Amino acid sequence: MTGEYLVQAQEIQIKIAQGAKPGEGGQLPGRKVYPWIAKVRHSIPGVELISPPPHHDIYSIEDLAQLIYDLKKANPQARISVKLVSAAGVGTIAAGVAKGKADVILISGYDGGTGASPRTSIRHAGLPWELGLAETHQTLVLNNLRDRVVLETDGKLLTGRDVAIAALLGAQEFGFATAPLIALGCVMMRVCNLDTCPVGIATQNPKLRQRFRGDPQYVQNLMQFIAMEMREIMAQLGVRTVSEMIGRTDLLQQRPDLPGKAKGVDLQRLLSQIRPAAGHYCQVSQPGEPGLDERRLLDLCRPALERGEQIKVMLPIRNTDRAVGTGLGSAITRRGSSLPDDTIQLEFVGSAGQSFAAFVPGGVTMKLFGDANDYLGKGLSGGRVIVRPPAKATFVAEENIIVGNVAFYGATGGEAFIRGVAGERFCVRNSGVRVVVEGVGDHGCEYMTGGLVVVLGPTGRNFAAGMSGGIAYVLDEEGNFARRCNQALVDLGPITDDGEQVRELVQKHVQATDSQVGKRVLENWHELLPRFVRVIPRDYRRMLDAINKAQAGGLSGDQALMAAFTANFRDAAHLDAS
Amino acid sequence: MGKPTGYLEYQRRPSPCRPPQARLGDWREFCLPMPDQELREQAARCMDCGVPFCHGGVVFGGAPAGCPLHNLIPEWNDMVYRGFWREAYQRLTITNDFPEFTSRVCPALCEGSCTGGLYGEAVTIQAIERAISERAFASGWVWCEPPVHRTRKRVAVVGSGPAGLACANQLNQLGHSVTVFEQADRPGGLLMYGIPNMKLDKAFVLRRVRLMREQGVVFQTNTRVGDDYPVKLLEREFDAIVLACGARQPRELSVPGREAQGVHLAVDYLTASTKAILAGATPAISARGLHVVVIGGGDTGTDCVATCLRQGCRSVIQLEIMPARPKVRSPENPWPQWPQLDRPGYGQTEAVRVFGQDQRHFCQQTQAILTDGDGNVRAVQSVQVGPRPMAGSVQEWPADLVLLAMGFSGPESRLLDQLGLARDQRGNVPAEFFATSLPGVFAAGDVKRGQSLVAWAIAEGRAAAQACHRYLTGE
Repeated sequence: MTGEYLVQAQEIQIKIAQGAKPGEGGQLPGRKVYPWIAKVRHSIPGVELISPPPHHDIYSIEDLAQLIYDLKKANPQARISVKLVSAAGVGTIAAGVAKGKADVILISGYDGGTGASPRTSIRHAGLPWELGLAETHQTLVLNNLRDRVVLETDGKLLTGRDVAIAALLGAQEFGFATAPLIALGCVMMRVCNLDTCPVGIATQNPKLRQRFRGDPQYVQNLMQFIAMEMREIMAQLGVRTVSEMIGRTDLLQQRPDLPGKAKGVDLQRLLSQIRPAAGHYCQVSQPGEPGLDERRLLDLCRPALERGEQIKVMLPIRNTDRAVGTGLGSAITRRGSSLPDDTIQLEFVGSAGQSFAAFVPGGVTMKLFGDANDYLGKGLSGGRVIVRPPAKATFVAEENIIVGNVAFYGATGGEAFIRGVAGERFCVRNSGVRVVVEGVGDHGCEYMTGGLVVVLGPTGRNFAAGMSGGIAYVLDEEGNFARRCNQALVDLGPITDDGEQVRELVQKHVQATDSQVGKRVLENWHELLPRFVRVIPRDYRRMLDAINKAQAGGLSGDQALMAAFTANFRDAAHLDAS
Repeated sequence: MGKPTGYLEYQRRPSPCRPPQARLGDWREFCLPMPDQELREQAARCMDCGVPFCHGGVVFGGAPAGCPLHNLIPEWNDMVYRGFWREAYQRLTITNDFPEFTSRVCPALCEGSCTGGLYGEAVTIQAIERAISERAFASGWVWCEPPVHRTRKRVAVVGSGPAGLACANQLNQLGHSVTVFEQADRPGGLLMYGIPNMKLDKAFVLRRVRLMREQGVVFQTNTRVGDDYPVKLLEREFDAIVLACGARQPRELSVPGREAQGVHLAVDYLTASTKAILAGATPAISARGLHVVVIGGGDTGTDCVATCLRQGCRSVIQLEIMPARPKVRSPENPWPQWPQLDRPGYGQTEAVRVFGQDQRHFCQQTQAILTDGDGNVRAVQSVQVGPRPMAGSVQEWPADLVLLAMGFSGPESRLLDQLGLARDQRGNVPAEFFATSLPGVFAAGDVKRGQSLVAWAIAEGRAAAQACHRYLTGE
């Protein structure tokens, strides 16, 4: 996710889980990762993309609040939505999300999403949206939180009746996917994963796309029917607006005429009425929190923003300053033109708060003398980040942790030089940043899809788990890195070329941070070169080889990518493996 | 779905046929078997849809969609692709007693609702079904398997068409002792005498009847229940009765000259032809050297045209009261409904080959049959109809032989009245869950639903057997 992408959004959704397959992630098989898909996903064509079920930057409600904060800084105009699934206790979570300042909470049911879900999950996982929605609405009302969030629901809403019931149970917005898809021509083939969709919907294959016969008017028509039915039901109920329907469970009643087991179902809890002390639907917006960007940086950088002048600023920073640089980056990106390298040079002294330099675009260099909390460089989108200990520090940099957990999570581009050791989950889902660091904690480079990581020191365990792209070079002086690396998807080996790429990066690292380790590596380059272990995902290497082959055959650019993709598509060994 | 990309890699290839000039010289089947490799490729085109309609057997907006027998089509397509022919046959027989019939004479509702046909071309399901069934017979996988246990219940099945045969087969397998009554000299009903030999070789019908005999089913031919076999006796001798006597009442043409010499019902003409072929004799009604007019544009009309051509007619004209169907699906006839399309049948293709042009004439309503002085037919007079007859459009078609192929209006009343059965306004026997108004009397097939397809008849025969079985065993 780049800063540019975020800036375009009207609403940004954090998908904590999906209704039809709660607790599961998504996978895009390699054969569906066409070159143009790989481009927007910042990955390599033909290489499978894994969306892991856990969010490696969200382990607690505070983490979620932090992400909401970051996203609001990255795009102050977008609504931030959090997607939860119907489950017992979802109300408590939703209350936390509302306190975490999300604008929208979506409660998703188990009936939808049948195209991308495994059969086992469709049949055996999840709960109806009605249960989660009723619980969430009641909990929010009880805690006087309901009036600051929009409550949305989805999960195979099909008719105006569904919408009316959802509104009466507390929903304010309604999501539709299956019905519009069918209106557009989906015939529920359940081959979305195979890239053989015969109606040209779940595919990027141009040949199949030609079969698509849908028309926006079909969806419009469907929605008008749904709205019409909704109006009819509202007329019967005697309500004028949807807002006055929200949470009016007194207008719902359990059918008394059901046979068999259904008769024994008690829906009282679902239908209980709670008198709201505050509003019963969203009436106020979540309060904003101005950060360092809004207070200082934007004003200081105005000459650069407006006239492209070079700016160099030094500021103190403290750990309450969160997402520093994000608002500035958003303002730069929103203007649409990228700034030349090093146009804005910011230097900070002190302990940076969470999400330092998150989503920062190119043209901005942020140098920190001190240390940083979690999420350093989250989603970095082209900027340069340098972290080094203060000049007068007495500790040995390469033996001490200088940046917190989850640094460069989901970064898509840029450079970073960290003099010192990073915490856990370093460069998870990195897809483009080139970074030098002097040691990392557990789960380094997990789910990485691109970019380049040079580690000049020890790593924690489970390095490179689920890594499907990019390369990591680890200086393994002890010779025991292989034991700490998860080799399910990657191959380990020595540097096969002259190592010039690594050397250049280390040189830059030394220049930026005055690193002692870096200096030692450069001085003993020829002895230490064989000690570097190259970590490269197998699929990734196969595609790189195919691209090189296509380029050697005289093709260039997109043509080479497409040729490699097609060759890979036909690769029987690959099909059997996947 | 053995091959997800099969439908993108292979084109649909229809079943190969003998060329018209070759097949017009004899009465053998015009369809040829498909080579194995091609069958595998065609089977690979099946997508094993998440929501398949091919075996739905449902009605959407008044039009049928999918196989009434609920044949497990995607499963055996996959097995054929993988070369598991025997397993494919086993899957096929789970739902279908007589794949050798349906694969030859069914209009293939399955292919009409195949997802492949939505924006492309359907899988050649019927050709695959035929290959499976013929391979099963050739490989000896179809053998005499009489029931292990007999219930000592006796069931009479009246009529030996597809519904009667399927019902008898199922009841026999359940252990009941079944006697099938047939008024004609050979069992098979319309399979025997309604459908000509070039479409369904009678050897296949007899092969199946022989197999059923070996398994214990008794066939009593030349027996018209109600006339040759008293109804009272039937009720006394049998614990249950299944009526599968079809809808044999032909739709009549009420115009002046109907009684003229040389005007015949299509079913009589086709019966005479098939009897003659089987006996190696000259048919009682022959088109040799005659100008023929066939009235009716359905499948029976096609069969008449093809038979006339083989008998050596001088000309053959087909008159249809309805307008020609469209070449492509109309918006009112969306997938997965059975597509109402203009598909010239094998007989029409042959006629084009012989006479150089399509011999069908649409929107033609017969007004009169003109005779010469001796009461012999001379010509058919028709008028073109839009919604109404169009003035000045009267046409005369010279004819020595006129064949009436306008379908059937309902079951014959004689036996049903003797039994004292309730009838609906169309004359059919209403039988919810196959039980008629009389206890122990069941109805299946055309006698219950009016004229229909072989696949429906087999489906009903099977279901009626289950209903009858429950009645007999009290389960």
